[in-house]
Amino acid sequence: MRCGFCGYEFKEEEGIKGCSNCPMGSGCTRVKCPRCNYEIPKEPLWIKKLKRLFERK
Amino acid sequence: MALFRKRRRRGSCHAPVAEGVGGAKKVVLVGNPNVGKSVLFNALTGAYVTVSNYPGTSVEVARGAAEIAGERFEIIDTPGMYSLLPITEEERVARRILLEDAPDMVIHVVDARNLERMLAMTIQLLEAGLPVILVVNIMDEAERLGIRIDIPLLSTRLGIPVVGAAIAKKRGLSELQEIISGYRCSAYPVPEYSRRLENDIAEITALFQSRFSLSPKAVALLLLQRDEDMTARVQAREGKGFVALEAKIREKIYARRESFHLDLSLERRKIAEKLLAGVFRVPDKRKTTFGEKLSRWAVRPLTGVPLLLIVLYYGLYQFVGVFGAGTLVDLLEKRLFEGRFNPWISDIVKGAVPWPVIQELFVGEYGVITLGLRYAIGIILPIVSTFFLFFSILEDSGYFPRLALLVDRLFKKIGLSGRAVIPMVLGFGCDTMATMVTRTLETVRERIIATLLLSLAIPCSAQLGVIMALLSQSRGALLVWFICLLLIFLAVGLLAARVIPGETPMFYMELPPMRLPQLSNILTKTYSRMQWYFLEILPLFILASILLWIGKITHGFEKLSDWVQPVMAALGLPREAAVAFIFGFFRRDYGAAGLYDLQTSGLLNPRQVTVAAVTLTLFIPCIAQFLIIKKERGTWVAVAIGLFVSLLAFGSGYLLNQFLLTTGIL
Repeated sequence: MRCGFCGYEFKEEEGIKGCSNCPMGSGCTRVKCPRCNYEIPKEPLWIKKLKRLFERK
Repeated sequence: MALFRKRRRRGSCHAPVAEGVGGAKKVVLVGNPNVGKSVLFNALTGAYVTVSNYPGTSVEVARGAAEIAGERFEIIDTPGMYSLLPITEEERVARRILLEDAPDMVIHVVDARNLERMLAMTIQLLEAGLPVILVVNIMDEAERLGIRIDIPLLSTRLGIPVVGAAIAKKRGLSELQEIISGYRCSAYPVPEYSRRLENDIAEITALFQSRFSLSPKAVALLLLQRDEDMTARVQAREGKGFVALEAKIREKIYARRESFHLDLSLERRKIAEKLLAGVFRVPDKRKTTFGEKLSRWAVRPLTGVPLLLIVLYYGLYQFVGVFGAGTLVDLLEKRLFEGRFNPWISDIVKGAVPWPVIQELFVGEYGVITLGLRYAIGIILPIVSTFFLFFSILEDSGYFPRLALLVDRLFKKIGLSGRAVIPMVLGFGCDTMATMVTRTLETVRERIIATLLLSLAIPCSAQLGVIMALLSQSRGALLVWFICLLLIFLAVGLLAARVIPGETPMFYMELPPMRLPQLSNILTKTYSRMQWYFLEILPLFILASILLWIGKITHGFEKLSDWVQPVMAALGLPREAAVAFIFGFFRRDYGAAGLYDLQTSGLLNPRQVTVAAVTLTLFIPCIAQFLIIKKERGTWVAVAIGLFVSLLAFGSGYLLNQFLLTTGIL
């Protein structure tokens, strides 16, 4: 993933997820940049699968 | 002034505190992310690799063994880092390895294409007294772009071994292996800063009584940058002597509070520029790209402010306001919902359900389908879709960090820094989540001011879209609304900065390159944001409709409207406007949609719609935002913000109404 604010590149797993105070934290679809905390939406699963399909071809 | 001064190393470069596996020399790879560290690690180590979490963290560190010229080395691949002053957990781990593993060699891997930017960290590593070898990687790509780098000259100027490499193609690998196997280090070059900075450093280092794993100069600079980890380490070593040291550091920090980070990075950049003079050559034909020009324009106030106004006019006003909230809402809400869907579904429900009360729940004035679903799909969805599309374009282009730099000076006056642009920008998407993001701001004071301003003057995307669509119909109304909001934002910010005690925050960030937004990124981000927004608002809109229906059948809603009526009268608004304000407390966007209904019913003239828009924008945060403020800042702060914002919203609305009546502007 590439942070939309500071440009830091990181893996989705490295991002800060599930803010403990947030009532909607469990199903959150956003990831925070570990460098600047800017919030970035996660890539939906079906888009990831679609990309992988095209990469294979 | 000499760029570097040679210092004799205390002890030997090859006497590490913690020895490598089996007495092997330790080689640590450091550098920015995506410069080829891991490729170099794999090239040096082959299959002998272990990956484990760094103790006490979830950050993975790879360690491997390499045999070079018959000698065994332990190679450590650190997480990406931009500076010796860590911000992220990864950077903290990388620095801890440098501090605690006492490496025999530190290989700094840099991208040849961005040599000037990355050399700042080489300077930091050198001033820390670390035994550095510089690998200028991705030379092949740099050469393809016509960039020429005089590696021997750079090595002479830095006073350390430098290798030009393209590790992915094994270029420079054997040269690096030779350097590693024959590495000897007796003196290290130390960068020289301006006289003022050197004096500050000298005053601090003169108070050190202990030795540290980094040079005194590097430790002093980290202390001046308020590095908490380094402060704790120094405190532990210095014991009672830390009191005098702390007082001196405070004195220096206070004297240079406005711009220390910026000054230091500018000095390092100057050193890098001088080092690269005649070393780094770009082709003569290379012109400044449009992206680079745009980047420069965006951060300079003289060009940045007009550029911002252009972005706001075409992006927010024309695209989100006129197209999204005007054309698309007209198509979906008026033609599809009001024209076809609502009459059709009303007939079906009324035919299937004999009880009028239940009919009201689904297809009545505040019906789940005729109001909740219509608001969500007919009004809010097209507005947030266009907003998120516009937002994703700006985000992907790299405009936001430039906006942060542009407003940094102004924000400092209101007790914030450029960093506060993150929650402010996110607030246009949703103020509730933006309130949560305020926790990342540096000081408590900054967090409270940002929370207050978000509650007060930052409308969410849907509210903004509706307001722009409504106000664009009367000449000057949008301008009046904008001026009111801007003045209140600045006045409250200035006042809060004076009233709330605390330090002025500092802000410095490295700008990522500006680039042409990629269609796939824009569409993916817009889709993800829309999906999240829609899934969040739909149940809440339905719940709000049910509550309003309960209020209607129990006549509680009418009583509430009656209770609010005197306030509406003071604002010069009709009784029906109370509905929009009650809606607004459920959600800001729901309130905006209520305002849209009033306007389309012809109940508001231009003056009234402007007063209602200003008051509703400033109006108390919605329930979700209020609860988050309470959690983040505590009950008292939440109640104080709620009361202050409500009084200010209605007070401003009243004054604006009087002003407009007197002047007859609208």
